[in-house]
Amino acid sequence: MIDTSIDKAAKATPVGLARRIRGLSDRTIAWIFVAPTIFLLLAVNIFPLIWTIRLSFTDFRVNRPNRVVEWVGLRNYERILSDPDIWATMQATAHFLIWTIVLQVLIGFALAFLINKKFKGNDLWTTIIVFPMTLSPAVVGNFWTFLYQPQIGLFNYAVTFFTGADPASFSMIGDVHLAPWAIVIADTWMWTPFVMLICLAGLRSIPDSIYEAAECDRASKWRQFWTITVPMVLPFLMLAVLFRGIENFKMFDLVVQLTGGGPGNTTTLTSIDLKREAFEKWRTGYSSAYAVILFVTVFGLASIYVKALNKVKER
Amino acid sequence: MAEVTLKGVSKSFGADTALDNVTMTIPDGSFVVLLGPTGAGKTTTLRLVSGLDTQDSGCISIGARDMMGLTPAQRDVAMVFQQYSLYPHLTVRQNLEFPLKSPILKTPDDEIARKVGEIAEVLQISHKLDNKATMLSGGEMQRVSIGRALVRNPSVYLMDEPLSSLDAKLRADLRIELKSIQSDRGATLLYVTHDQIEAMTMATHVGVLDKGRVVQFGTPRQIYEDPVSIYAASRLGQPRINVLPAAVFGGAPTTAQSIGLRPEQIVQGEGEESLVQRVEHLGDQTRLHLSFKSHDIVTVTDAHTNLKSGDIIRIRPKNPFYFDATGARLA
Repeated sequence: MIDTSIDKAAKATPVGLARRIRGLSDRTIAWIFVAPTIFLLLAVNIFPLIWTIRLSFTDFRVNRPNRVVEWVGLRNYERILSDPDIWATMQATAHFLIWTIVLQVLIGFALAFLINKKFKGNDLWTTIIVFPMTLSPAVVGNFWTFLYQPQIGLFNYAVTFFTGADPASFSMIGDVHLAPWAIVIADTWMWTPFVMLICLAGLRSIPDSIYEAAECDRASKWRQFWTITVPMVLPFLMLAVLFRGIENFKMFDLVVQLTGGGPGNTTTLTSIDLKREAFEKWRTGYSSAYAVILFVTVFGLASIYVKALNKVKER
Repeated sequence: MAEVTLKGVSKSFGADTALDNVTMTIPDGSFVVLLGPTGAGKTTTLRLVSGLDTQDSGCISIGARDMMGLTPAQRDVAMVFQQYSLYPHLTVRQNLEFPLKSPILKTPDDEIARKVGEIAEVLQISHKLDNKATMLSGGEMQRVSIGRALVRNPSVYLMDEPLSSLDAKLRADLRIELKSIQSDRGATLLYVTHDQIEAMTMATHVGVLDKGRVVQFGTPRQIYEDPVSIYAASRLGQPRINVLPAAVFGGAPTTAQSIGLRPEQIVQGEGEESLVQRVEHLGDQTRLHLSFKSHDIVTVTDAHTNLKSGDIIRIRPKNPFYFDATGARLA
């Protein structure tokens, strides 16, 4: 008989231990393997969630631990949902979400489509395009403040080059109408490559022979694009939208570095607002309710979306 | 439908020569089968005719029109791919409709439905019309792929081993169907296979390819009865032609290097002794594996023979083929 390493390990196991191990059922062993993960998930995900829900019905303030905590029922929720300032941050978030997704999908797909053509140096171009994604969001936010500088900013000079407007005549970050677009542009610059990579994976998954068959079936390039390329990349594209949507719903770092939520609160996204309520104003109970509302919103939207995604995949 | 001609067509991929100065004519309304082992250039020929690839030199014309620089759509070819190439996100029906829904054609809807229904019937996939293309077995996919070509009426059909992944019964059915569709429509069909039964049963002409060259082009009978070389002779015939050194039987021409014997060129019961090694009863015939002067010979005998291994049987060649040292046939 040949001694494999498994045989050796079996022989080296003390008889007592071996008997104890053999005495366990498959089910027990399975539980032993997953137990650490389950414990970890309970400790860092499920428990805090339940605790947050509990706190959301109180007026607890974490900076005053000795104060008597009162149950306030649904009062926190009522106050949040009837607060026009919070609706304004929701609107700012929606604007940011929708436009970043629209722009990133369009530009990302277009870039993927172009880079997928076989040309010299497309690997190099892919690497160059992917660069922004590899940076830290805080760094990106920080240096876009320089690009948006009216006096010295490259962005303003680029706009001047195309439109002829005076670069010092507008400030992307300082203007209440332009600031929401400033964060959309910076985020699109950073994350379009991600959408491109996912679209590229989708495009590469379509075998050449399907296009050849379509070519023989006399489908024009236009028809091939709409009947083969788009439907076959769609599941990938929808996945990219899901990732970007979830990421941008909780956007914090880039925007805080770039605009700090201003001017006014035109770029105060919900997560920035939530952070202020929780850790600047220390309204723990109130911000817990806020967090629960956000959680339910994201969870609900994501569930509906995932259902749609699965339907597209089945098609 | 149209005649297809290839004149001096060559194609190489890097250092590999796929086709080397191929010249042949596929007559209008003929069923031409290209035979040859993997790498002989069969698929390359199809792809060049279809316009998916372009030849390095030479000229391809369909219906006397030079095809240089034209797309598959402009050439009006229908192709069945070996790897099926169905549109995976579409149903079987949508796959079959796809070529008819081309804006160039403007086929009316009821016409499309009728044609799709007809073809589905012939290919025995009517019950799968509303399945997704990815939910089919390999054989079903292959039939959809054939159907997608047959719904059209192109100038030439190109088929790359279309029956290879079907089971034996379905393959026999579809051989007959394909042949009758082709002769009913008077269609020109260029068909690639390495199955000699398909070549023998369906082809009006067979082109034997070897390392990118056409070694023989003719009717299946011509190639079977009058092969130009050992290579061409070995493409057709079941069991394969037996090739022995010319000297084992007397009476060979002096320049002959080897002698080729098909089963019907071996007379049993006369001549020299050989030892029966193995007897295979196939039902309608019996195969004999003989050992003759330490050479193996496979031949066919009566289905109800009493011969068994260890027996001695006399054999003698009758009108055999003689080949020279290069494998070429001696007149």
